[in-house]
Amino acid sequence: MTNMTSPLDRRRHLTGMAFITPTMAVIIAILVYPILQSIVLSFGQSSIDGSEPYSFVGLKHYATLAGNERFWNSLWVTLVFTGLSIPLELAMGIGLAVLLNEHFRFKGIARLAVLFPWALPTALNTLMWRWMYNTDYGLFNAAALQSGIVDRPINWLGDETLAMGSMVVVAVWKTSSFMALIILAGLQSIPRELYEAGRMDGMTRWQEFREITLPLLKGPILVALIVRSMDALRTFELPFNLTDGGPVTATESLSLYAYKVIFDFIEFNYGAAIVVVQFLVIFAMSLLYILTLRNKD
Amino acid sequence: MTKRPRFGLYALVILSVVISFLPIIWLVLTSLKTTEGIYAWPPQYLPDPFTLKNYINIFTNSPELLLYVLNSFIVALGCTVVALSFGGMAGYALSRLGMRRAGVLMVFILAVSMFPPVSLLPSLFQTFLNLGLLNTYTGLIIAHTGLFLPFTVWMLASYFATLPPEIEEAARMDGMGFFRIFWSIVIPLSWPGFVATGLIVFIFSWNEFPLALVLMTQNAMRTAPVGISLYPGEYAFPWETISTATVIAIVPILIITAIFQKQIVGGLTAGAGK
Amino acid sequence: MTEVKLDRIGKSYGSVEAVQQFDLTIREGEFLVLLGPSGCGKSTTLRMIAGLESITKGDLMIGGTRMNDVDPKDRGVAMVFQNYALYPHKTVFDNMAMALKLQKVPAAEIQDRVGRTAELLGLTDYLHRKPAALSGGQRQRVAIGRAIVRTPDVFLFDEPLSNLDAKLRVKMRMELQELHDRLGATSVYVTHDQVEAMTLADRIVIMNGGVVAQVGTPREVYDRPADEFVAGFIGSPAMNFLDLMRDDTGRWITECGSLVLPSLPVDAGARRQVRLGVRPEHIAVTAGGQPQGDLDYQAEVLLDELLGADALLSLGVGKARLLARVGGTDHPVQGDRVAIALTAAQLHVFDADTGVALRD
Repeated sequence: MTNMTSPLDRRRHLTGMAFITPTMAVIIAILVYPILQSIVLSFGQSSIDGSEPYSFVGLKHYATLAGNERFWNSLWVTLVFTGLSIPLELAMGIGLAVLLNEHFRFKGIARLAVLFPWALPTALNTLMWRWMYNTDYGLFNAAALQSGIVDRPINWLGDETLAMGSMVVVAVWKTSSFMALIILAGLQSIPRELYEAGRMDGMTRWQEFREITLPLLKGPILVALIVRSMDALRTFELPFNLTDGGPVTATESLSLYAYKVIFDFIEFNYGAAIVVVQFLVIFAMSLLYILTLRNKD
Repeated sequence: MTKRPRFGLYALVILSVVISFLPIIWLVLTSLKTTEGIYAWPPQYLPDPFTLKNYINIFTNSPELLLYVLNSFIVALGCTVVALSFGGMAGYALSRLGMRRAGVLMVFILAVSMFPPVSLLPSLFQTFLNLGLLNTYTGLIIAHTGLFLPFTVWMLASYFATLPPEIEEAARMDGMGFFRIFWSIVIPLSWPGFVATGLIVFIFSWNEFPLALVLMTQNAMRTAPVGISLYPGEYAFPWETISTATVIAIVPILIITAIFQKQIVGGLTAGAGK
Repeated sequence: MTEVKLDRIGKSYGSVEAVQQFDLTIREGEFLVLLGPSGCGKSTTLRMIAGLESITKGDLMIGGTRMNDVDPKDRGVAMVFQNYALYPHKTVFDNMAMALKLQKVPAAEIQDRVGRTAELLGLTDYLHRKPAALSGGQRQRVAIGRAIVRTPDVFLFDEPLSNLDAKLRVKMRMELQELHDRLGATSVYVTHDQVEAMTLADRIVIMNGGVVAQVGTPREVYDRPADEFVAGFIGSPAMNFLDLMRDDTGRWITECGSLVLPSLPVDAGARRQVRLGVRPEHIAVTAGGQPQGDLDYQAEVLLDELLGADALLSLGVGKARLLARVGGTDHPVQGDRVAIALTAAQLHVFDADTGVALRD
């Protein structure tokens, strides 16, 4: 414990406070206060521009929510999307990381290629894929029809199951690279001597992977998984740009549903209730994240 | 000892590279086709005839698409500068100035960084509306700064922690105050950390969607990802224009990523390892 | 019969030759130490024996079989790594048992062999801990135990003590010695620490720049260094070197003229210039004395440093500088004038160009 009576320490402390104040002010204004206000809004009735004064309505919006099939659908869509894309991203990420950890020529270019999908805006990535998925003029149908695999164009984004699959593909394409980079960093931190010891012990390549690589990657994999899960749980521009939640509501994520309720249906307070529920789901995940990190130390 | 077959390795590498680039390549090819070429059957894989007409059209007929890119630049740059300034000071305070409960503050900052942006929308929209910050660069810059400050603080704090404290101690013996030390010792020594963090924050801000969508309601103020996504055409999407505008909007990011690949990867993985 | 024969072994990376023409037979049960500065090729040589580095030239024979292209696990060798290379996520038991498990040794036998080795090394109480929960010395023992469990024909040690602090290093060095006496297995040990080399080795191989500089017992390399490099590398503090020129009368004189030797202890042939080597512990210093014999000189103590039992004196003989090691009690101090005496039998003479030691 620092001894605060010393003028030296006091000066250091005051400097610290001065240094951290701007950051805390912005974080509270942009992140903390809005969440608290959303909670307040979700328990009342008001209008966006303040023309209708706030009145408390208790749990009314949450009751509506509980009985609303579209809300449950969006929650389900979000969970299915997360549950499908995360394991695929993980598998692809590990594969890519192991690949990039090998020595070969033009490695820099390969690593760059893998980084690009992550670096570009999701919204624009999604547009590119939507163009490739296009039923009449898209790359996929053109190739499929020309090669004779199918004789009628596939409606990639118009069928409920296919649309979810198409969306998962875009997510996996976009974020496997993030997984790969984190896992690659983990791979590179495994001392080479361990593999040499493994060879002296008589391990095969596969045994090296199972006995050394995989167990030692547990930490980075867990971190990548949780970060990505939280991203997937709040996915917004992907369905917004790919399908607008369609067909009907087959790909309408929680974020997209909340956005539509607030800004298309102008049901401000009901939207706040959805947003609060989503916040709770993700906050639970982030707590898990922090607890995991704590345990790691 | 025994060399494993390299052929399989290279095949896998080439496959990954092609898949990573495929949508971008297809997009670039589309932007170089004529409208007839885009909608032709049998499909054109390579532009025939090759044309720059779409690019010329954007510059002459749809300047708003260029305006989106400019808006993105202003917002991302502003956000990066503010986030680095504030985050640098906060990171220094948390890692070096012996703050009490610095650990708790770090965890608090990490926790708030996980708030879903959509959860912020109802309140932020209302507040910005009341303060007249909708459709202003200032507004979106503040919002993005808030969104990405936690990341900035963590990155820079862990970077500062790697600096040998002896240099700062020597500076104190030389008679420098904390501000002076931060300004003339710590910042010059930490520029690799600032570069890596700044690049990632710039990319984050450039790519951000939900807040940019909601806080910029006027067409002329939209950022590139939003503006292009909402480009007119409810039913028939003008793909020749969209593909060209998208190429223009992603080129800056592609260049930044290509040049600063090492720094970005280093920053990302360091951030995630913490 | 496990003799290890390195038949003109070489390793090159492209045009860079890391090890050249390494030619040596390691006798059964011998403890051989590879000694040299970093980058001299000693680790590469060891790793070629282990099978972790391919051999680009020559033949490696272990127990009479050519092993160049044999997988490490089938060479009958076990290795102790510098950083221990313990599997951090496995217990001590599993670390030691790994090779046996992979060889499909029955579980009961694994239990027995690991148990006995653990007892030998005093690790029995730690078998269920993970490496992170062990001290440096314990980790080192696990790394050794992992090698012992396999009952290899040849033990390979890659600077195994360099990560330990000074005290522990001495203790582990002694344990290693006892262990070798007990197991009697052929061992190859890489180090850059000459004390380890001198105390542990039956024979020392001193390497420099990928080439073997000398092979010999600790006594031989100390008493009869093959060249200037070995002479300077072995011994602490390092040997004094002086450039000598022959004058017309056949006497040998230092450049500055302050030391004059009437003759050399060896035949220098037609050379007009040689390098003279004198170990600091071979300079006899008498306080206040007067030079008497041919090899006696007047000197001034420029600096005295007490090490404890011994003291180091920096001596000025005219313009020449010599370091002497003397007893730590009542030794001359800075500013004293002393007489020093050299002994012809303890002088080393090297060719001025090649550095090769001259012998009769």
